[in-house]
Amino acid sequence: MKRAGTAVGEFDHGFSATNFMHASPPMQTSVVRCANVAIALLMCAAIARAEVDYAAQVKPLLRQKCYACHGALKQKAGLRVDTVALMLKGGESGPALVAGKAAASALLERVMETDPHERMPQEGEPLTAEQIALLRNWIDAGAHGPANEIPEADPKQHWAFQVVQRPALPVAGVARNAIDAFVDEALAREKLTPLPEASRSVLLRRVYLDLIGLPPTREELHAFLDDHSPDAYERTVDRLLNDPRHGERWGRHWMDVWRYSDWYGRRSANDVWNSAPQIWRWRDWIVNSLNADKGYDRMISEMLAADEIAPLDDGAAVATGFLIRNWYALNQNQWMREIIEHTGKSFLGLTFQCAHCHDHKYDPIAQQDYFRFRAIFEPIHIRQDRWPGEEDPGKFQDYEYVKQRKPNRLGAVRIFDRDTEAKTWLYTGGDERNRVTDKPPLTPGVPAFLGVNGLAIQPVPLPKEAVYPALRPAIQATEISSRRAALQRAEDQLVALTAVLSSAPTIVEKARTAVLAARAALSSSQARIAADQARFGDALADEKITFARKAALAEREAGVASGHAAIADAQHLLVLAEAMPATDAKTRDTAITATKNAAAVATKVLENAEAALRDPKAPDTYTAFSPTYPAQSTGRRKAFAEWLTRREHPLTARVAVNHIWMRHFQEPLVSTVFDFGRNGAKPTNPALLDWLAAELMEHGWSMKHLHRLIVTSAAYRRASHAAPDDAASHADAERDRDNHFLWRMNPSRMEAEVVRDSVLHLAGVLDATMGGQELENTQAETSTRRSLYFSCHPETGGRSQIAAMFDAPEPTDCYRRNRSVIPQQALALTNGKLVHDHSGALALRVGAKTETPENFITGAFEHILSRIPDEKERAMCHDFLRDGSRESLVRVLLNHNDFITVR
Amino acid sequence: MGMGFTGLALGAMLQRDGIASGASWSPPTGLPHFPPKAKNVIWLFMNGGVSHMESFDPKPMLTKYGGKVIAETPFRDTQDPKKLAIERLVVPDANGNKRNLLYPLQIGFQKHGQSGIEVSDWFPNIARNVDKLAVVRSMWTTDSNHGAQAQFHSGRHMNDGEFPTLGAWVHYGLGSLNDNLPQFISMGTREYWNKRDGHYLGPAHDAVPLRIDPANPLDFGKSERPFAADAQTLGLDLVQQLNALRGVEYPNDPAMAARVASYELAFRMQRSVPDVLDFSKETAETKALYGVDQPHCRDFAMQLLAARRLVERGVRFIQIQHGGGGAGAWDAHGGLKTNHTKNSLAVDQPIGALLEDLERRGMLEDTLVIFATEFGRTPGSQGSDGRDHHIFGFTVWMAGGGLKRGIVHGATDEIGFHATENRHYVTDIHATILQQLGLDSRQLEIPGRKRLEIDHGKPIREIIA
Repeated sequence: MKRAGTAVGEFDHGFSATNFMHASPPMQTSVVRCANVAIALLMCAAIARAEVDYAAQVKPLLRQKCYACHGALKQKAGLRVDTVALMLKGGESGPALVAGKAAASALLERVMETDPHERMPQEGEPLTAEQIALLRNWIDAGAHGPANEIPEADPKQHWAFQVVQRPALPVAGVARNAIDAFVDEALAREKLTPLPEASRSVLLRRVYLDLIGLPPTREELHAFLDDHSPDAYERTVDRLLNDPRHGERWGRHWMDVWRYSDWYGRRSANDVWNSAPQIWRWRDWIVNSLNADKGYDRMISEMLAADEIAPLDDGAAVATGFLIRNWYALNQNQWMREIIEHTGKSFLGLTFQCAHCHDHKYDPIAQQDYFRFRAIFEPIHIRQDRWPGEEDPGKFQDYEYVKQRKPNRLGAVRIFDRDTEAKTWLYTGGDERNRVTDKPPLTPGVPAFLGVNGLAIQPVPLPKEAVYPALRPAIQATEISSRRAALQRAEDQLVALTAVLSSAPTIVEKARTAVLAARAALSSSQARIAADQARFGDALADEKITFARKAALAEREAGVASGHAAIADAQHLLVLAEAMPATDAKTRDTAITATKNAAAVATKVLENAEAALRDPKAPDTYTAFSPTYPAQSTGRRKAFAEWLTRREHPLTARVAVNHIWMRHFQEPLVSTVFDFGRNGAKPTNPALLDWLAAELMEHGWSMKHLHRLIVTSAAYRRASHAAPDDAASHADAERDRDNHFLWRMNPSRMEAEVVRDSVLHLAGVLDATMGGQELENTQAETSTRRSLYFSCHPETGGRSQIAAMFDAPEPTDCYRRNRSVIPQQALALTNGKLVHDHSGALALRVGAKTETPENFITGAFEHILSRIPDEKERAMCHDFLRDGSRESLVRVLLNHNDFITVR
Repeated sequence: MGMGFTGLALGAMLQRDGIASGASWSPPTGLPHFPPKAKNVIWLFMNGGVSHMESFDPKPMLTKYGGKVIAETPFRDTQDPKKLAIERLVVPDANGNKRNLLYPLQIGFQKHGQSGIEVSDWFPNIARNVDKLAVVRSMWTTDSNHGAQAQFHSGRHMNDGEFPTLGAWVHYGLGSLNDNLPQFISMGTREYWNKRDGHYLGPAHDAVPLRIDPANPLDFGKSERPFAADAQTLGLDLVQQLNALRGVEYPNDPAMAARVASYELAFRMQRSVPDVLDFSKETAETKALYGVDQPHCRDFAMQLLAARRLVERGVRFIQIQHGGGGAGAWDAHGGLKTNHTKNSLAVDQPIGALLEDLERRGMLEDTLVIFATEFGRTPGSQGSDGRDHHIFGFTVWMAGGGLKRGIVHGATDEIGFHATENRHYVTDIHATILQQLGLDSRQLEIPGRKRLEIDHGKPIREIIA
């Protein structure tokens, strides 16, 4: 069984390294590239002795395998290996290298060690024979390195960990706004010539799709082209930013970042394990907050701590859906892990999850910091509050192995601190079974290296309406109006039955007792509400008791009335059962037995209720309308939100600005959108990033302000492609193929939602209804609601077939969309129902059947592609219309690359 | 990754067309990293967990000690908590306590072929081909619930998230052998947690689901509304002509070139797929061999026959999951005998036929066939007549594709509890397959994603010819 032991060890290690490895992400850092080069070289051939190149071969290997523990981040055993000089100097046990003598060098000895406890690296795979040979040859050849080799910088000096200073504006040439000053400076430095402004029709289509997620109609295109005023574009931008569809468009972007997901778990068994069935209220909050231009700082604060910063604002409380989305019924640790990972990635741009199992390998985040971060969230749980105008959803159902958690669509879910004394214990190896109990539990905190003072945690006393949600006037009103409505229904029923002479006496009795029961229920609710008011109000102790006694009595009376009604109901059912035809004696007998049983149960209930009513010692307690929650919250999340949104926080605004920029320009300024740490990418234009971050923070964190700035910049308005005969620009294209310096606009492909919504919109059938419970994807082809309102979760059916083809977001992780080009997309747009069902309407929307083919072709191009056809295109389409229908031509244009492409 | 798009075999397509050159990062070339031994993979996965003791790792000791508590048998050290610690819990033991009462074998077994490998009597047709197999009897995994299905395909425990499956990586790494067909196809039933393949590689690397229904084999493969084929062609021709005109305007737009190419592939695909499922050209003998006329195995037989036809046409990776319902048809918590009798009847004849058919057509050398399941079943009973999930030791076999023939590698202990000799985690199977396909999993990484060492696995050299 020796092997088994080894295997367990290997696996444990694999597990412990999971997050670190998984999360070390940059799109292509020099580390990865160099390592690949080194490995490739190693694979091809044996290394000739004299040829070892320290910079190209040795250093990348050391960086990959050793720097995490023996570099700037950590100096285990006092040793650093990030320069040759430091290796020669060595650590606590002497020099790591003896130049020219590999056999005498500790470095080589330790990587070749056979005892796994002594072998370096301690984590990860041992060096291969080729890698060892490389080191040996390099040392034997003299261990030469470059002169003046610079050691790794202090991690705390990493650019993204410094406070955002607003950079001075470079001297601008013809810039439209500050953004251009920075972009133009970079272009001048790189000797790149920017492309001219895009044509007005390309620009209009671009900004429409960008800001509201829909293309302009033909009429909107004409109106814009005919508007020759100098600020025509700016006015269009303002109009689009104020369009409610803007919130829907950008809401979906933020839903990607914030990992929106509808409930899932075991949908096939109707069992909720993850997220919540009422989570859609958070989606609506996102859309509405964006439309209202709520500051980004306020938005993320409400998502983390609305219950603490705005405990009486039901509209804001649903923002904590951000935390609820991570809920995992079966395992509290999993819930916490996901909160930490995604709070870190989405708000901080840090891969905190790496420190789950060990100190972070790139950033100065110790494992302790991970658990201190967790302690911020440790006390939370989910509660389920009644929503004004809705029935009572009841209490939030905790997980029990034997009980299904059926989706509850009523009410609103929100976070609260349930256990203010909850302890956070450190565990090792990323495995919660390995709890460290000989050290005290961790207190909440944030890593000090971020340079901002830590959390200022103050407990938050909660108002009584937050502690006992049924005290809220709107909820009391809902309770009374729902009881009154029930009474009204019962009375109407009785009147209707009495008006009919032939009504059976038992059904009239049933209706009569139902009225009494409904009336008693109303009285009971009124008395209980009065008692609640007294209990939570300023009433004297005696008065509180009096009200409670009245409420208790009213509730017992309601119990008796309901008992009578149940008996009357059972008796009526018995009459019906007895009247059944004798031909089917079996059914009749079963029904009679069932109703008799029901009557017996009802009688027993009534007896108990009457006994309770007569009991002189009956308690003065009544049933509460809702649970009572703790009167105080820890204030941890409030303090965290406050820390996160300080002006001097180095990351929050930078990360947000980068996300916003990416969605306008298709490419971010920092390509590792969720990792601004040392393993992340550097910004392509650092000054621009910082200027935008400062601008966001100093303009009340207004995202609309930033959108306006970006889309009115010259950089945004540029053409995305050089004219075919523009040789100079094509030469630029060779030098900056990835357009890092923005000499042109980046073209893009419509996202899944935009494809579907645009077809519906151009056909004139898109339903403008906003918000509400999510729709099932099975309706995606028949409903005309916006795509954002369809269910989105990782299980089967979590996206519509067509959305899946066009890279609809992964609800588990989508910091950045994929934009694939796959053959199934062609099949979906040529054969699928969406295009077929709407191309007829779209054709008619373009022009009546009496319209000439010439006009139809022009109209279709303008409406679908936002441009007029050239002569060749016109001729081809004209030919096509000789045999093909106008509807077919519409389908052709919806399959045109210019439809799905945003130039 | 400045180009910002990925595509089905597009990496290869663009490379071939010289489009991808010069980008700061380029997708795989579509060429193997070293000379391959196999070109295609047929991946047969039995959902739910096949009893290893009653299939390819017979354990007579179970019958001998049947009804005894493990602690009272010579095998009590199998219960060592340290050995049991590889299990990663999602929830406290979902199926109750440990199964400690040994349950006798529910079926007999015989030695077969020249190799004399023992196979249970539930698999006579596979047994007839046992000299073609490399049987690995020392598998282990860590998820004791059916998340292990996803784990067997991706190599990672569900708690770690969702990761690309082996098929997706092969699809990502290797170019096309046939531009008219998708290179990665799935058939059969997939449970929801194991429904997708591409994950962070993108949906372009999801298997294309194929139904054995000539009328409707492919998603969006038929028009929603019937209209004359020539009218459709006419429309498509116009799409491509109009796009070609724009190509003059946008000479340096790789996304546009890719889209034009994808439309062409789409329509070649749409025409080629029905032909794959047209079994009328197969002989009566072949159809009978697979059992397409036998109600108890018809569905699987048709899938395997289609798989052979797909391999003939150059499709790289065909993934077939057998047995839906519950968490997988083989999940015999109760009534194991009835369950495995029925399921083995459904798969044995088609699999035996596939091995023989590939062999006689000279295709087995280039084609790797894998028979796998998410875990084995407990040596002890569950209830009166079932076996529970068992992660500590189970069996997988492979055939063809340059592997040794008629060999057993690794072993479990005498009651089939722990894999004891030459233990292999699931990614060792992946590594073996990649090795035979000429792929180095370390070169299959993508920028922005780093794989774990455990994800790479190690090829099982002992079974490679």
